[in-house]
Amino acid sequence: MTDDAILKLLVPATLPAARDATERLMALGRRFGDEDRALYETAVMEWLTNVVKHSYVPADGGIIRLVAQAGALELHLVIEDRGRGMTAAQFAAAPSQMEFDPAALASLPESGMGLAILKSVMDSVIYEQQQGINRLIAVKRWRS
Amino acid sequence: MVLEDQVEGDYLVVSLRDKRLDAVIAVSFREAMLERIEEGQRKLVLDLSNVGFLDSSGLGAVVVVLKHLGQQGCLYLCGVTPPVMAVLRLTRMDRVFKTFPTRAAALAA
Repeated sequence: MTDDAILKLLVPATLPAARDATERLMALGRRFGDEDRALYETAVMEWLTNVVKHSYVPADGGIIRLVAQAGALELHLVIEDRGRGMTAAQFAAAPSQMEFDPAALASLPESGMGLAILKSVMDSVIYEQQQGINRLIAVKRWRS
Repeated sequence: MVLEDQVEGDYLVVSLRDKRLDAVIAVSFREAMLERIEEGQRKLVLDLSNVGFLDSSGLGAVVVVLKHLGQQGCLYLCGVTPPVMAVLRLTRMDRVFKTFPTRAAALAA
């Protein structure tokens, strides 16, 4: 993969399409080590799933715009949607680490882990809402 | 989504044949596993050796299964691949689930 390879996708807001987009994106992620690659793919799927489930409703027929650029130092990713989104404050308030007692069976988290995964995997992540567009900008540096 | 069952003594070994345990199949996977518990299975081994991708929806489904089994049952994970283990570690769920490299190791536990 040469530097500055770019991938642009318009993704229907469905879970199968989110899966396909994530798999296609990983063609740009060949410079990640194995573990970074696995976690990066999961992190992106988390955000796309979040958009499909919570930003749009099924009847919206919503579209997600994804632009990824593989540069010399990092993989730069922008994901945009025009659904309800979450506020920047809600995004900021989501934890970046899972905290729970592993021995307390009843209180183990069944959901709400996606944003923690995203925040902990990416080296930099910015979320903003501007003029009806919800935009995630995520950067992950190459490490072997 | 395809699950393959094999009875091994007191254990029901359930092998997920799909390559991804993600949001696309999480609900159907969870419901299929809960059906097995409702049928009386209390000792489960989940064989994940085919699975190379796990997200929080899939992981959440496995947590639901563990909770339904409760303290009287058990859920072992076997054949956990490196990408799946990376997600378990990141979410700290590696402290929750008992994992084994192989099905035989899980059954011998």
